[in-house]
Amino acid sequence: MVDIQLMGLLNATLQAATLLFIAALGELITEKSGILNLGVEGMISIGAVTAFMTAINTQNLFLSILVGVLSASIFSSIHAFVTVILKQDQTVSGLILTILGLALSSLLGKKYVGKKLMVKIESIRDIAEPSNVFEVLLNQNFIFYLAILLMITTSFILKKTMFGRRLEAVGEDSRASDSMGLKINKTQFIATCVGGAFAGLSGVYLTLSYVPFWTDNMTSGRGWICLALVIFGGWKPYRTALGALLFGFLEALVPRLQTYGFELSPYLVKITPYLITIIVLVVLTIYKEGKTGAPGNIGRPFFRENR
Amino acid sequence: MNKYILSRRTVVNDLATFYSFLIGLFIAVCIGSVILLVQDQNPSNVFSLMLKLSVGSINSLSSSLNKAIPLILAGLGISIMNSVKLWNIGAEGQIFLGAIAVNLIYINTAISNPTLYIIVLLISGFIGGSICILIPAITKVVFGVNEIITTLLTNYIIIGLTIYLVNGPWKDPKSLNFPAAAYVGEEVYLPTVFGRLSTGFFVCVLFTFGAYYLKEKSVFGYEMRIAGGSAMTAVYAGINAKQKAFFAMLIGGGFAGLAGAIELLSQTHRVSIGISQGFGYTAIIVAAITGMRPIGIFLVGCLFGALTIGGAVIQTIGVSSYIADIIQASTLIGALVAQFFFTYQIKEVEDG
Amino acid sequence: MTEKLLEAKNISKSFGKIQALDNVNFHLYKGKIHGLLGENGAGKSSLMNVLSGIYQPEKGSITFKGERQKKLNPELAAKLGIGMVHQEFRLIENFTIKDNLTLSKANIYINDFEDAYKKYSEIFSLSINHDSIISDLSVGEKQKIEIMKLIFNNNSIMLLDEPTAVLTPQETNQLKNSLETLSKEDEKTIVFITHKLKEIKEFTETIFVMKNGQMVAEDLKTESVKDKELITLMMGEISTSVVKKNNKKGSVKLEVENITLNSDIGGFNNLVDVSLNIKSGEILGVAGVSGNGQVELANIIAGIQTNFGGNVTIKGEDVSEKGVKARKKLNLSYIPENRLGVGLAPGVSILDNSVVREYFSASYGPHLSKNKMVNYLNLLIKEFSIKTGEPKAEISTLSGGNMQKLLMGRELISNPEVIIAAQPTRGLDVSAVEALHDLIVNQRNKGSAIMLISEDLDELFKLSDRLIVIYEGRIIKEFDIDDANTNNVGLAMAGVIE
Repeated sequence: MVDIQLMGLLNATLQAATLLFIAALGELITEKSGILNLGVEGMISIGAVTAFMTAINTQNLFLSILVGVLSASIFSSIHAFVTVILKQDQTVSGLILTILGLALSSLLGKKYVGKKLMVKIESIRDIAEPSNVFEVLLNQNFIFYLAILLMITTSFILKKTMFGRRLEAVGEDSRASDSMGLKINKTQFIATCVGGAFAGLSGVYLTLSYVPFWTDNMTSGRGWICLALVIFGGWKPYRTALGALLFGFLEALVPRLQTYGFELSPYLVKITPYLITIIVLVVLTIYKEGKTGAPGNIGRPFFRENR
Repeated sequence: MNKYILSRRTVVNDLATFYSFLIGLFIAVCIGSVILLVQDQNPSNVFSLMLKLSVGSINSLSSSLNKAIPLILAGLGISIMNSVKLWNIGAEGQIFLGAIAVNLIYINTAISNPTLYIIVLLISGFIGGSICILIPAITKVVFGVNEIITTLLTNYIIIGLTIYLVNGPWKDPKSLNFPAAAYVGEEVYLPTVFGRLSTGFFVCVLFTFGAYYLKEKSVFGYEMRIAGGSAMTAVYAGINAKQKAFFAMLIGGGFAGLAGAIELLSQTHRVSIGISQGFGYTAIIVAAITGMRPIGIFLVGCLFGALTIGGAVIQTIGVSSYIADIIQASTLIGALVAQFFFTYQIKEVEDG
Repeated sequence: MTEKLLEAKNISKSFGKIQALDNVNFHLYKGKIHGLLGENGAGKSSLMNVLSGIYQPEKGSITFKGERQKKLNPELAAKLGIGMVHQEFRLIENFTIKDNLTLSKANIYINDFEDAYKKYSEIFSLSINHDSIISDLSVGEKQKIEIMKLIFNNNSIMLLDEPTAVLTPQETNQLKNSLETLSKEDEKTIVFITHKLKEIKEFTETIFVMKNGQMVAEDLKTESVKDKELITLMMGEISTSVVKKNNKKGSVKLEVENITLNSDIGGFNNLVDVSLNIKSGEILGVAGVSGNGQVELANIIAGIQTNFGGNVTIKGEDVSEKGVKARKKLNLSYIPENRLGVGLAPGVSILDNSVVREYFSASYGPHLSKNKMVNYLNLLIKEFSIKTGEPKAEISTLSGGNMQKLLMGRELISNPEVIIAAQPTRGLDVSAVEALHDLIVNQRNKGSAIMLISEDLDELFKLSDRLIVIYEGRIIKEFDIDDANTNNVGLAMAGVIE
């Protein structure tokens, strides 16, 4: 019995973590190029709603996933355009993306509230009550495994390939990279859109698997947690994944606390992940003496002729 | 050579921000029209209806101005923090904690003079907002933790706290369907003048000038500008940059807290999740669009208040109220695009 | 001569109202070392930035190997083999040497990196593992990596912008040998930029001279050209003044005893047991290659750097435990090395910047009087003939010379008794330098005790009464000004004491 409860917790943890991790990894890639995108929440919403709409209308899963990922990526190109091409403030632009994304997704999704999804991304094998770790893993769908693959690939590309080193170089010092003949605008633009695509995949996971329906503001602040995760992970894919697991665990733990016999208000427990993020940020900043691993150029617009 | 080259203007037009705003608004109205057309609505009908229902009568105009109060106050708070180049994404939470502080003081005290009582409650709201930003302020100043993330996370903490309070300790048994605290007594309602206009609006006017004075005319404002320009120059000038940042944050949070207090005492009259409907986020747009200028925040705040009211009322004809959000956000995007052309110029290359 | 490898014609480039390049012609010969001489601000760096594709000119044409280059940008420049070493290095500080040498797509030693690194390490006498992080290197080492970067990226044209500015005389010599090897053995075409006459004669084969954004002389043979001719071309007819050293010295105004500073990183910037004193009416010159503790010493005296060992005494009062404002009250002024960023706040108006030293005197309680501020700025503009635009315009709209005049004027107008001036004339043109030197000498004659930190030996020799050399945080040697010359001071700057 305890085992099943524990495995249920693990199962929920992995699902919550997958959702957080994919978008966080996308943001990590964007930030590595020197662009800060605070619009994760909006991008996830756009991905979530477009995927859901496509799924309702076509019942074609593959198409829905594609639409979700692509529309979030195209949406993120607004940020890329405003910050990379027009060199405007990244904080402001990112915030607009969040507000606009939430409003736009609510507008688009208005007719879809309460509609029942006929197709859903299925687990490898659907097990109602997994009783061991292996069964829990089987109970995940392909996006979970895709997330693991993306983590390994991203880490490898960043560390071991010239492509990744160049991306990181652009984010570290765009002037120096520019003088080496690297394409700053192109790199940053693409990295921002890749970040958008990853956030879109998170959105797809949200509406086509995690909670298979649509309501307004259903991202409920997860996009912001993703931003915190990148900092938590020190801009490293594996540590970001670890952070996602921790936050996923807390999110999964909340509704189960009472079954474990804790007499805490569920409303208060719900705020613990946010409290813990703040505490972790503080501890990490103190521990690393301010060197959090942030890309050197993050948030600063690049104009070649600046003197 | 390339045919055209991009170069930075050394002299930027004084009214660039204003023109950018107008251009942004125009672009936003165009975008809004397209969205309405797609939804089979006639844009000119919808916009004229919005106009009529938001500023067409004393009642609607005063409702619009009431809506502007939290946008303006929170926007001013954001602009004060921006003087030291810090972002306040946590105005939403500060608004809630301001209202919570008012209710807390209201429950636990009794002052017979209503004017005095209202003033005490407004001050409580301000302090509540300051307390809300205390943790981000301390962690920023002492340890250098990024304030964008911490102020943002506090939003979720405070909103969680609000939900806890209105479902638990403060739950009003009479409010069955909608979790909320008990109403405050009518003696502490902010009186209205000119239709529905709350006297809170005059507090708001007062604080607009206060913020303007603080930013532009005071020694503290000067010290904030230098500290915001370069931390090293501040150290060099003997200005305690961290102290300025700390107080700028507390004041900024206080402004948003005051907005929550006014919202409670003039509109909702009780603590619930409805105290703010994203005012704290819209306030960021208002502040950014004006280049952080207090008077501009006041004016744009009024306009956005009207837009919000207009957006809310057109729901009755089946248009989503989110159209107002989209117009507000698009205005800022449009303004950013326009701002680019004010700060850079594109020159044609002569062949030599 | 051989055929022209690269030719630029009628290049013009402006930044706002400043005409950086005005119809400039320039050309390069394969395998030669070209000198580009000119005062700071003459347009040398702008021209090089155009050739390396960083600045887009408004007018003109560039021809490479006979082919017109219409869309020159850094990427294309890299393909054509044009590389530049900027005065502010373009290295990625957190990356390894190897990363920095191989990131460019033009890199040719991707497969035999180890061998190539070994070969060029020898040519540059560099003995550092390529896994080292750039930020751990010394300035001289960083520069060697910068030049190696050009070689690794197969650049046949190497544009070196003031490469000797950060080097000791001995390192400069070493650089000369390396460049000669590169030009002879690898047939590299090199442009060597400097404002120092001596170096241009030693390093180069043919000389171009720029002045006020124009090319005033092309292709002068180094062997045959006369010094005097070059000086006239470069500076016009301004004769540099000689400063009389018959100034009267009074009592000790600034005393520094046994200053020790431990920094937690590196260990290079520590100060070790530094003691000095400066009398009224005296200029003490502080020589040293940058990064040897000068900035820290100035910051300690000005009260910016705290947590140090030892004592600072101003006019007999021990201020070691006190802050910036206490020192200002004792009438100390500090002109920091970093003009924009420390002395002046970027992004803030000219007006706000003009009162940084005395803004509290423009206040009534919490109120700041704009009238008083404007009057103060107008006084500075008049006294120090500063050319400014609108008071509310952003500070960086001023030219470098006017920025420095505003900064110095602000610091000098209240007739300070102790002045710390760090690199007060760096990067300014001759007439501005002369004007600023006059201000310093004038202040000396009024009885100020002045500490002048500079890397420009000519400036130090011209102005100082005494000279100390700082090396790795220690005062390694002290000179009477009559005994000091380029050779013995240069050796001391490199840490060699005879």
